[in-house]
Amino acid sequence: MKPEGQGSLISRISRELSNYDYLAAVYALLVIVVTIVGVLTLPFLSYEDGQIYGKHIDRQSPLDPYDRGGTPFNATIVHAQYPENSPTLGYVTAYLTPLSQFFADTTQHLGTTIVAHPGGIIDEILYNTRGLDTVVESSILFVAFAIAAYLFRRGAV
Amino acid sequence: MNSLPADIGGPGLYAVEFGDIVNYFTPYTAVLFVFALVFTALAIASRPERQVDIIFGGDGYYTKDIEPAKLGFQRFMAIACGLATLGAVVSGDVFNFTLFTSMVGITNIGIVAAYTNRHVLNAAFQYGIVAMIATVPLFGGAAIILATTGTLSMWELFGPAIAVPLIAKAFLILGVMGEGMAPFYVAKAEITRAPGAPYVLMIHVSSLLLFLRVTEIVLSM
Repeated sequence: MKPEGQGSLISRISRELSNYDYLAAVYALLVIVVTIVGVLTLPFLSYEDGQIYGKHIDRQSPLDPYDRGGTPFNATIVHAQYPENSPTLGYVTAYLTPLSQFFADTTQHLGTTIVAHPGGIIDEILYNTRGLDTVVESSILFVAFAIAAYLFRRGAV
Repeated sequence: MNSLPADIGGPGLYAVEFGDIVNYFTPYTAVLFVFALVFTALAIASRPERQVDIIFGGDGYYTKDIEPAKLGFQRFMAIACGLATLGAVVSGDVFNFTLFTSMVGITNIGIVAAYTNRHVLNAAFQYGIVAMIATVPLFGGAAIILATTGTLSMWELFGPAIAVPLIAKAFLILGVMGEGMAPFYVAKAEITRAPGAPYVLMIHVSSLLLFLRVTEIVLSM
């Protein structure tokens, strides 16, 4: 039996890894190694032009970057992976409530407050075709706030 | 409706459509789903364990006082963790899967953060940092998949026409490793010293199921 820290290479590595103070560092090392490999292979990756959620940036539009075009109460073309699952796609994406229309007419920055006022921009990719994502995102925020509120109310340990 | 490709998950049994996000069951994911469902039901129904410390070298022992009312928050977080696991194992969309995975990571932190044992909190702190770092490769992997293939739906990605770059798969696995902490049993061993077994065990169940699921996803892509 060799003394502490003087075993074979594997047992020394194993002993270091068993200290959970190094956990974040070990994981960060893994991330760094994979990221370096990723940066090196980046020239071999090509951007796919046929994006299902394509985006057209129009800096002059007040709805930028959520301007999907179209007029209200007409069918706007919104691409979806499975259009048969969203039969009413494209009917509300261009609609603005009167208040939102007022903001859109008077400022250039309505697109930066997508949900911060009544009505907002009803982006159908966010709320219809990929609506479950939005639900899960809100759930994550709710859980995080619940933890923070619990720890705050519990006070110092 | 699209037909499922015959894959390692087995033939498709049932699909639940949420617009572009189609959750689906194969024999493989259905088994994972049932496991997660059973453990979520256990977290809802069971009372916390009562720990007994035996004094070494003698006949003495002492029992710890565990009040179920004080473990309400752990139970809440364990149930939320179970629901997130349920969502993750049947998800048919890469970005939706990563979202559920990061929700599992946050609820895991919530389960252990409510204890006041110093050892447990030290381990939970390290784990929390790992889970926070892990969101970068996790969502980075999903972003690379979207950029290089133009889609996020697993039915499209599992087909032979689309090649997913290896680096995206590596990022995805790395992210699930960090969120579910599957290989990091060091911190887990410390964390499970916390009382309240059915709730703490949800950490293990969720990370195990997530890792089985991400293995299937990466092998199929």
